[in-house]
Amino acid sequence: MVRLFTDELNVGYSDRLIVKNLSVHIPDKKITAIIGSNGCGKSTLLKAITRIISHQTGSIILDGENITKENTKVLAKKMAILPQTPESASGLTVGELVSYGRFPYQSSFGRLTKKDYEVIDWALDVTRTKEFKFRPVDALSGGQRQRVWIAMALAQETDIIFLDEPTTYLDMAHQLEVLELLQKLNREQERTIVMVLHDLNQAARFADYIVALKDGQIVKAGNCEDVINHHVLRTVFQIDTEIGRDPRTNKPMCVTYNLLKGDS
Amino acid sequence: MIQPALIKRQRLILCLLFLLIIVTMVVGMGLGYASLSYDRLLPTILGKGSFKEEFILFSIRLPRIIITLLAGMSLALSGAILQGITRNDLADPGIIGINSGAGVAIAIYFLFFPVQAGSFIYLLPVIAFIGAFLTALLIYVFSYKKNEGIQPVRLILIGIGFSMALSGIMIVLISSAERSKVDFIAKWLAGNIWGTDWPFIWALLPWLVILVPFTFYKANRLNILGLSEQVAIGVGISVERERILLLITAVALAASAVAVTGGIAFVGLMAPHIAKALVGPRNQLFIPIALFIGGWLLLLADTIGRNLAAPDGIPAGTMVAIIGAPYFLYLLLKK
Repeated sequence: MVRLFTDELNVGYSDRLIVKNLSVHIPDKKITAIIGSNGCGKSTLLKAITRIISHQTGSIILDGENITKENTKVLAKKMAILPQTPESASGLTVGELVSYGRFPYQSSFGRLTKKDYEVIDWALDVTRTKEFKFRPVDALSGGQRQRVWIAMALAQETDIIFLDEPTTYLDMAHQLEVLELLQKLNREQERTIVMVLHDLNQAARFADYIVALKDGQIVKAGNCEDVINHHVLRTVFQIDTEIGRDPRTNKPMCVTYNLLKGDS
Repeated sequence: MIQPALIKRQRLILCLLFLLIIVTMVVGMGLGYASLSYDRLLPTILGKGSFKEEFILFSIRLPRIIITLLAGMSLALSGAILQGITRNDLADPGIIGINSGAGVAIAIYFLFFPVQAGSFIYLLPVIAFIGAFLTALLIYVFSYKKNEGIQPVRLILIGIGFSMALSGIMIVLISSAERSKVDFIAKWLAGNIWGTDWPFIWALLPWLVILVPFTFYKANRLNILGLSEQVAIGVGISVERERILLLITAVALAASAVAVTGGIAFVGLMAPHIAKALVGPRNQLFIPIALFIGGWLLLLADTIGRNLAAPDGIPAGTMVAIIGAPYFLYLLLKK
């Protein structure tokens, strides 16, 4: 079952195309990782699918409807997005920020209902940020702050969650913490997760489906065995990799790599 | 989710500002070219004053006080909205050229169309309005880019450009005009409150009565828009539509105020900024305070200004600029 897919999508700024003729299916209730080198269009693709930027031609279909024709508030109940490195929350408390996730459900004047408060508390619970509820977001550490932003996305109660590099600027432990949280949400609540990741080994370990992009086009899309291999990585990143096995998860992993010399 | 302590603090500040406004009003009622002593104020208000006292209070002082109060509030709200949608603390209807647009329209009308004394004062707000809207529209069109929409920073820069260009046009217009006509325009430019009669209050009040609740209705959207554009789109706000709607609101507020008071800048910059410093960035909390501060600032400026140099006084716009310009510089330096 596929609820979300793009069809011959073209996205660009001014006259420069970033995403070219791209058709991709996002598997439902799975974790999808988008990988690729800097400037390959992975963030642009994510922004286009989540209507943050508009696309030139082609279509993005969610539940049989073209998203450009769908009401933006209706879409906000179906998909949430955690943007790349959210800006400062300018003095807001954690609870307030998470409550913004309830916007699509509010009618007027932004009054929160009992249901809203329950969902907010639940989102704080799941992300283990409840203790910070009345603290300013800006006073938290990077990892805590990232969890708060995820809580806000969760408060939207959407089936699909998009994340643009959710692990950037976090140390190794906090990276893992965020990814495990996403995995838990996927497994226990069957949420579809789509994220841009930089780390290949994290992609291999956590994603069910990996989309490898180069120059705005798909080089390979499939499970980790299909994508994380010498041949694909050579094309995508111009690197010569040594692929081994993670001794704990048995997933493929890039043990070491070299830059390709010339065009050999 | 807002801490109760913060709400309490906001209520307290509101009460203090309210008192401050009342005190300034009372002081202002007794000050002026024609004398009205303070011990005669209360009897006059209660209808027991002489004809002269009633005339001074109800036909001269009170309308002017109410006009400045309302105009200050409109400008403050306009500035608060502009700062919200552009995510820039330096936005102000005067700085991004909306006031100049109104000014040029008034100058053109005044210089090139036959002016009849009677209808002129009632037409002026309409003319100012048209000028302000055309300017806002042009600024909008020029800062709009296909696929990207409106970029707040570009909007401000283009606004400042327009403001300068319009000031240039103004100089060309004035330099080719007759001396007597230049006087009025010069006074208007300096922010000399000239519309000091009850009809002007009735012209200004409806805008506030409609647009203040409207802005409160949009307060939560403004909060989220102020956070980040991507977050706003993500939670389902039609960013472009809200921006246009709020921009029109801000222009309407500024134009209606400026038409009556002349070119007054800095109130829209200072009032929201001080309010945010006092109670933080949540629109539903700081907007009431910004309204009160804006009204009080202009009232204070005009009360001092009109008593400093008899009989004409110093224009309120000049008085505000004396306080506002250093504040603007301070903000710039702090950044």
